[in-house]
Amino acid sequence: MKEKKEKTRLLDETGRRLLQEMKPLRGWIFLSAFLCLLLIGCAIAIPELLGSLVDRLYEWSRTKTFDLSQSLLPGLLLLFLVYVLRAAFTYGNAFMLQNIISRYFCAGLRIKLSEKLCRLPVSFMDKTPAGDVIDRMMDDVSDMAGSIHSIVEILLKGFLQMVVIACILVATDWRMAIPVILLSPLSVFLSARIASSGEKYWDKHFELGGDLTSLAEEAYTNFATTKAFRREEELQKKYDDLSREQQKSGIIAYFLSSIVQPAIALVNAMAYIAVAVLGGWLIIHRGVPIGTVVTVILFARQFSAPLESIAFGLGYIQHIKASARRVFSLLDLPEEQDPAGYLEKEVQGSIRMSHVDFSYDPEKPLIRDLCMDVKPGRKVAIVGPTGAGKTTIVNLLMRFYDIQSGQILIDGQDVSEISRAENRRLFGMVLQDTWLFKGTVAENVAYGSPGASREDIERACACAYCDSFIRRLPQGYDTMISEDSTAVSAGQKQLLTIARALLANRPLLILDEATSNVDTRTELLIQKAMDHLMGGRTCFVIAHRLSTIVDADLILVLRDGQIAEQGTHQSLLEQKGFYYELFQSQYAI
Amino acid sequence: MRELLSYLKPYRGKIALATILMAVSAVCDLLLPTLMSQVLDKGVYGAAEADTFGYIVKTAGVMLGVSLISLASVAGGYWVVYHVVSGYTWSLRSALFKKVHAMTLEEVGRIGTSNLVTRSSHDVTTLNEIVSMLCGSILIIPLMFLGGFILCLQKDVFLALVILGAVPLVIGVVLLMSKKIEHLWDVADEYCDKQNDLVRERLRGIRVIRAFDQEQKAHETITKATRTMADNLIRANVSMEIIDPMAAFVLNVAALLIVYLGGVRMERGNGLTAGDIFAIIQYISIILGAIISVSYDLVRLPHVRVAARRLCQVTESTGLEDSRLADGAVFSGSIDLDHVSYTYPGSSLPALVDVNLHIRAGEWVSVIGGTGSGKTTLAELLLAFRRPTEGKLAFDGVDSADLSARDIRSNISCATQKSMLYAGTVAFNLRMGKPDATDEELWAALELAQIADFFREQPEGLSFLLNPAATNISGGQKQRLAIARALLKEAPIYLFDDSFSALDFLTEARVRKALNEKLAGRTRLVITQRVVSAMHSDRIFVLSDGALVGCGTHQELLESCSIYREIYLSQTGDKHCCQAGSSQIPESAFSEVR
Repeated sequence: MKEKKEKTRLLDETGRRLLQEMKPLRGWIFLSAFLCLLLIGCAIAIPELLGSLVDRLYEWSRTKTFDLSQSLLPGLLLLFLVYVLRAAFTYGNAFMLQNIISRYFCAGLRIKLSEKLCRLPVSFMDKTPAGDVIDRMMDDVSDMAGSIHSIVEILLKGFLQMVVIACILVATDWRMAIPVILLSPLSVFLSARIASSGEKYWDKHFELGGDLTSLAEEAYTNFATTKAFRREEELQKKYDDLSREQQKSGIIAYFLSSIVQPAIALVNAMAYIAVAVLGGWLIIHRGVPIGTVVTVILFARQFSAPLESIAFGLGYIQHIKASARRVFSLLDLPEEQDPAGYLEKEVQGSIRMSHVDFSYDPEKPLIRDLCMDVKPGRKVAIVGPTGAGKTTIVNLLMRFYDIQSGQILIDGQDVSEISRAENRRLFGMVLQDTWLFKGTVAENVAYGSPGASREDIERACACAYCDSFIRRLPQGYDTMISEDSTAVSAGQKQLLTIARALLANRPLLILDEATSNVDTRTELLIQKAMDHLMGGRTCFVIAHRLSTIVDADLILVLRDGQIAEQGTHQSLLEQKGFYYELFQSQYAI
Repeated sequence: MRELLSYLKPYRGKIALATILMAVSAVCDLLLPTLMSQVLDKGVYGAAEADTFGYIVKTAGVMLGVSLISLASVAGGYWVVYHVVSGYTWSLRSALFKKVHAMTLEEVGRIGTSNLVTRSSHDVTTLNEIVSMLCGSILIIPLMFLGGFILCLQKDVFLALVILGAVPLVIGVVLLMSKKIEHLWDVADEYCDKQNDLVRERLRGIRVIRAFDQEQKAHETITKATRTMADNLIRANVSMEIIDPMAAFVLNVAALLIVYLGGVRMERGNGLTAGDIFAIIQYISIILGAIISVSYDLVRLPHVRVAARRLCQVTESTGLEDSRLADGAVFSGSIDLDHVSYTYPGSSLPALVDVNLHIRAGEWVSVIGGTGSGKTTLAELLLAFRRPTEGKLAFDGVDSADLSARDIRSNISCATQKSMLYAGTVAFNLRMGKPDATDEELWAALELAQIADFFREQPEGLSFLLNPAATNISGGQKQRLAIARALLKEAPIYLFDDSFSALDFLTEARVRKALNEKLAGRTRLVITQRVVSAMHSDRIFVLSDGALVGCGTHQELLESCSIYREIYLSQTGDKHCCQAGSSQIPESAFSEVR
């Protein structure tokens, strides 16, 4: 039943698209198919040749009239040649398939995916865990490569081999061919049956295995807490019980999988016995030459050999298609539309937001009718408790997200008319979440300023107070650093991102203040470096400590995604509203 | 390594049984061609014409019986094998888990949590696969080889020698190849990891990349890495593909040799029959099938060494945990550190230097300091996760070296910054503090930690299920839950290690007030980076670079301790108060909190 359903669904939308994806590789696949044909030729020649050799042996033992070892030699040599050819074809085909698969198919798809990432909106990255994208790019693409293997190995080689051998069997002796051909579907049925009955045990085994891993992960992560509360025994029991449960399903799952092959072997043995009986009878009563029986026996082995991989392959195709669906769904995601406009003149740095509405989730309106007017060179502070939506403003200014209505104007020009890259080129950005890529310190600082000379880099670093610590690093400016590098502290990373922004020298600036995990002195340096950076630029500062923004020209107080209050420090304090409450709480209450 | 094998000891009998069953099946598989050759030899050419066919049918019956016995014994063999394997896996896992909890924090830190998880999941699974291979499929090869050799020996000693030469040659070559392949795979894996990291880095840095208009460059880097990875994958895969044709080729040539040599020997007339030769050719093809079916497993064999070595790292770790027996000591709550220093193993600079710190029972003290000042080390010393490398840490005047870690931990209730919670219900997590607590007690603790309202709003209430790592609640909520858990535990000493860091100032003030009411009379030690968390306590200790640089009340420290003043200034930006000695803070706020 299940088999049938799978077969009818083999060429659905995903299947067709998968074939489409393989189209450029047609030539190679045909070549591989040709090699497969040669291999089948070998597979046919071998039992024939071996059969005739054995025939000679029997003939000699009956007649003893010729020089046996001499008469064997030509056949042996021929057979040797066929063996050499077969080994060469097998390896050649594998070599070619691996190359097509890895170099063209997988790498091609991965590059296509990477290209797609360039054109997907930031909202996609925000919603999708990195692991999910990586799984699609790595594991799913690898699985899809299995489709080429399946087509060549199963459809071309397996089926072809079976058909050809079935024909030869019938031609050699149709009577002996009957049991061989009839019994093989039985072994396919058997293996499929056993495999499907094991499925639910495998599912359970893996599911519990996952639980077990997360339990271990939790226990090891919480090591100190477990011990502080002395809960080791309790956890041990929980772990042991779960582990026992997992092993129970494991025994059955492993057992069922391992008897597939012996079960097929039994069916094959039955065919073998049937041929022996039938063959014996035919030799005695119909005078069939013994070599024919030997040939049939050897062919019977070749006939059933691809069966197992065909049964496995048909099941595997479902798995491949599931992977392909995930990859295609990523490739099909709507891309960001980007206007092609340019800025008309040199930017002075005035920014106006008028009646801006925005929300991440249509059901939860976030920013409604936001208006603000920032003159060139002014400092705007955005304050509010965590989760109030401070970073949303950054997202809108940088056009990581598009506003839903209203306008953002830079020097009076509507930003929706200019390209995103052009828009972003106006802003320098220092985020709390310091991102550094794997590369040297100098490369990281020069990120976004490709033409910068070493002197420029060092000057920017000196200005951002990083020069002295960089010089103390083992390879100075050429020290390799990365995201999780321990060579530089969190605070120093922050300073590097400030140097990066300084070097890029953009007319507008966005700063997200870092607070946690930075020691007091570095924090003072960061403050000073940021002051350098801000000089003369229009800037937006997301503030966590209010003390740093009391001199801002405009303070936006966010609360639950709404702008609750706006004004200067003094005017807001006088209002005695939410800002006042926030300001007081950092002292004592 | 021996230790890992010792877990197999209880299963010796079962392993022997499995071996026997597997051997029976291997012999049966080899008997089939033998019987077949008898059919051909005797049935067709030998015996009297009359009962020839009878003989064939009889032999066929025997063959069917042999096949059935083969299936039954192989199934039975696998059944036993998987019982052994699962029992082994279970006891290995259980022992590992136990061992980890007997480790010191030091060792856990050195090996690393994620490595430990890999060891108890991935490495155990690798070992498990190998054990099942050893007991199952791989066992069959030597048995088949041996069986085939013996059967062959009965027919012709000379031809048996061909098998004796060819099979070990093939196995040797496969093993040799597998070593080379393993290296290629390691390289390929390394490039896969690199590619992974690049994609992850790009996704993480999407905002910066786009802000600096570097998408194209990121794409090019990944394209290049993808091609390098492909090259390495091809190299590994292709070298793997050489095993099958090579094994097949060698054994097929051996079969040819047997046909020829057999023919030569038949001619000389030493009783060798054509059926015998045919049988021997089939033995080879059976052995070949067995080798090819496990060649992929054979290639994995070197992985075992890696997995086993890593597992041994855990099983052979020493761990100082509890040489002293717990005797249920109850402290009154005074803590004394006399000239305590602590140096991390392998580190040249001490993390704590000559710290003198005396806390009276029932006192409320804070320890303040920036990152890297030694605060966490201090907390770990108090909880006996580490022992001072110099000086003396005493509870109630008793040297902690004479106390068991379990006793010390019974007397300290703690909440930490990272607030470790367990997947499961809120009640389960809270009852870790007090296993027999009633629901009312749990609610009261939640109330004190200012989080009761959140769980009251949840339909599940105390049965609210936390995800692993409590990802379904916020950082602040996690910290408050951990505080509630610490409050439930009855102890003379309460330790809060940076456990308010994710709370906003308003909530923290409320929690602090509740704590001070509930825990009045108990020793309270608050370790923090935040001045607001510390400023109201009886005494404040200031740590900087592992040394104690100040001690006193908030006012005293503002006047006397420059580092404290610096911290205060940077966090509040309040330039007036430290000079005036007072601030704009309304007096009422003070009294309300204390």
